[in-house]
Amino acid sequence: MSATVDSSRKPSMAERRPSMAERRPSVQTGRRPSVIPHLAGIEDPVLPTIPDQCDVLICGTGLVESILAAALAWQGSNVLHVDSNPYYGDTSSTLTIEQIKAWCANVNLNTPGFQGFCKALLYIPRPDQLNSRDYSIDLTPRIMFVKSDLLSLLIKSRVYRYLEFQSISNFHTFENDSFGKMSSSKEEIFTDQSLSLATKRQLMKFMKFVLESETAHIAKELEQYKSTPFTEFIKEKYKLTPAQINELCYTLGLSPTPNILTIEGISRIRRYLSSFDVYGTFPVLYSKFGGPGELSQGFCRSAAVAGATYKLDSQLQSYDSNNKIATFMDGSKVKVTERLVCSPSQAPANAQNVPERKYEVTRLITIVKKSCKEWFFEGESAAVVVFPPETLPSHNVYPVQVIIMGSGSGCCPQGQCIWYLSTVEKGEKARRDLEEALAKLEESILRESEDGGFDVELTDEDVVSRPDGSISVINSVKLGKSFKEFVPQEKLTYLFKLMFTQYTSVEPFGVVNENVFKKTFKEGTENSVDYQILYSNMPSAEISYDGIVTEAKLLYSTIVGSDDDFFDVDFEDDEEDTLAAARNDSAILDDDDEFKDEMDFEL
Amino acid sequence: MSKQTSVKLVLLGEAAVGKSSLVLRFVSNDFQENKEPTIGAAFLTQRCTIGTKTIKFEIWDTAGQERFANLAPLYYRNAQAALVVYDVTKPASFIKARHWVKELHEQASKNIVIALVGNKYDLVVDPETGEEIEGRRSVSVEEGKALADEEGLLFFETSAKSAFNVNEVFTAIGKQIPEETSKPQDEPSSVGRIDLNAPVDESGGAGNCAC
Repeated sequence: MSATVDSSRKPSMAERRPSMAERRPSVQTGRRPSVIPHLAGIEDPVLPTIPDQCDVLICGTGLVESILAAALAWQGSNVLHVDSNPYYGDTSSTLTIEQIKAWCANVNLNTPGFQGFCKALLYIPRPDQLNSRDYSIDLTPRIMFVKSDLLSLLIKSRVYRYLEFQSISNFHTFENDSFGKMSSSKEEIFTDQSLSLATKRQLMKFMKFVLESETAHIAKELEQYKSTPFTEFIKEKYKLTPAQINELCYTLGLSPTPNILTIEGISRIRRYLSSFDVYGTFPVLYSKFGGPGELSQGFCRSAAVAGATYKLDSQLQSYDSNNKIATFMDGSKVKVTERLVCSPSQAPANAQNVPERKYEVTRLITIVKKSCKEWFFEGESAAVVVFPPETLPSHNVYPVQVIIMGSGSGCCPQGQCIWYLSTVEKGEKARRDLEEALAKLEESILRESEDGGFDVELTDEDVVSRPDGSISVINSVKLGKSFKEFVPQEKLTYLFKLMFTQYTSVEPFGVVNENVFKKTFKEGTENSVDYQILYSNMPSAEISYDGIVTEAKLLYSTIVGSDDDFFDVDFEDDEEDTLAAARNDSAILDDDDEFKDEMDFEL
Repeated sequence: MSKQTSVKLVLLGEAAVGKSSLVLRFVSNDFQENKEPTIGAAFLTQRCTIGTKTIKFEIWDTAGQERFANLAPLYYRNAQAALVVYDVTKPASFIKARHWVKELHEQASKNIVIALVGNKYDLVVDPETGEEIEGRRSVSVEEGKALADEEGLLFFETSAKSAFNVNEVFTAIGKQIPEETSKPQDEPSSVGRIDLNAPVDESGGAGNCAC
């Protein structure tokens, strides 16, 4: 740089490395160490205080609240975003083992900031084998359909740049005591050896129908099935077997309940089918290093970039709706000029207006000492397994949904795997269903991984080459054939097991519908500590991200008046030219074609 | 053809020590007096050639989230380099720097290259003579150097205003970055990363490893 003070005396790179200051004669002559206070013994620096005013105060950094914070900050609102925990994510956090331990203790003590969860049972048989920071455990794991509002928002908001995404191709269904991978794309149906020609034809017809279901004439045809359960509709119209119906409804559709209606079922399957072939031959993505917790951090960063202020470790104590003053447990106060939004889990003690949480989600999270690669599509590290209703010895009424995350997801060390099981069943019955599903998963992985994999004879007909050249076993039902007679040689090592129940005001939904979230917004009882607080919802049971953006938008329009300018930000700018022009005399290369200044560096 | 390594570099340091100004100087050779606190910067990229190696720095600013020490794990994730900045005229900012170094050792990957940077050097020198003016400096060179030696950091005193030593910091970091490590070793399936900017065309096929 020609303008620098002593660029003419620049030494070579090798000389320059140890310390610039050391070599400068001016530093050496002018230095006066004696007048400089010695700093080594001084304690922690004092933290600044929070601003005394904001437009919108948001308590809780869960995914919905974080998207809301970013949307409001970009819209121009002065946002103060706090969380009662020392980490981001609230009810959708991604936690380390140590954080999970503390979380369980707090849930069981019913500490403010952990409301809406109960009965957390944690089992870590070999604590010495777990290095806390090697794990990223999601309280609310989710997967993302490629064609979804959240993925569009991630791209539009540029938050995707902070994250890494990986694919999931394999969706397994548990049926007749074994796993089958659904033939869910056109090529697979054509090559699937287990399907008869007639069935293939029916399945193809059905898929075509689903993909065209938004056209006027099919929409009209669907009218007559408005109140018909989806399972009945496909059974009658397409003559599919109960196993195929299960696969469609619960595995591809990921329906959390058995009684969804035809239109909802079709929407759910369309979501799956239309997500294929956008980025590749897979329908679903997940974010590496953790799900909603990681996305929350991304949106919080985006909000901060737009000017929002962040403060963790701050629990709301009360809200004075007359003077619009929020008080925190540490005594600090904030004047809220517009609105206070609060996550139900972080509501003030003695809150009276938290939306009623009458739905339950029970979760079982385990870490096993096995890679579980047998369940993943080649090159991938995650899969989905579904146990449809009535497939477990407990006669489960509701499906048990499982997200499998291998070490390639960045969430656990190599040779290990995280299994996330969940159900909308209630109470002890839910826990029994999950335990039984877990036992089946254990049997299955031992069966499939023993002796390096398959002891079933595979023929060429059982495998199929994909268009991208990879090879996949289509007929994996065969792999589980002798399941019942199977006696495992080894036992599966569990490193971690966590069971808990989460309450929510969001009913398990068929397809995303604003009303699912809307009915819980109310002003509340006057003179209560939380009168006029706008509460968000506890996470829904949905294992995809569907509903998240809907809820964030709904909160946004409640505050702003409409969602017309929700993330209506033009991130394109002409900064590139200015910067390129300024870089003319340095040794640094111009990055002309790829220069990625995310947005105005100066504002 | 030189190799290009992509390096995520994170900035750390107390508010108003000149983190963004250092980056602005490095990226666009510019400086602004009385700059407002950072709003609007997410990350900037700059290429830098060192010998036969081209380093593409992806520079992440704190976006103000350092204010209450609330930077997210996402911020540190896979960072290969960090600039811990303090103001040579503000002792408190140096104490903060110690904390950031500690935080980096806890949160960041083990082989991260950290540079400790005492900024605002222009405030302690006479612009005419280049000599230090007595009484201007509050953090001695020894103090900074001692911390750097203790923690194994690179150490520089810089001025974003005069551009003194700014490029040197980035060049020194670039030299310390081992080649072939744009991704940490312990990621078995980084090939599975999906580029959301690259939807596959109608013909379908492989689209899941465009990096």
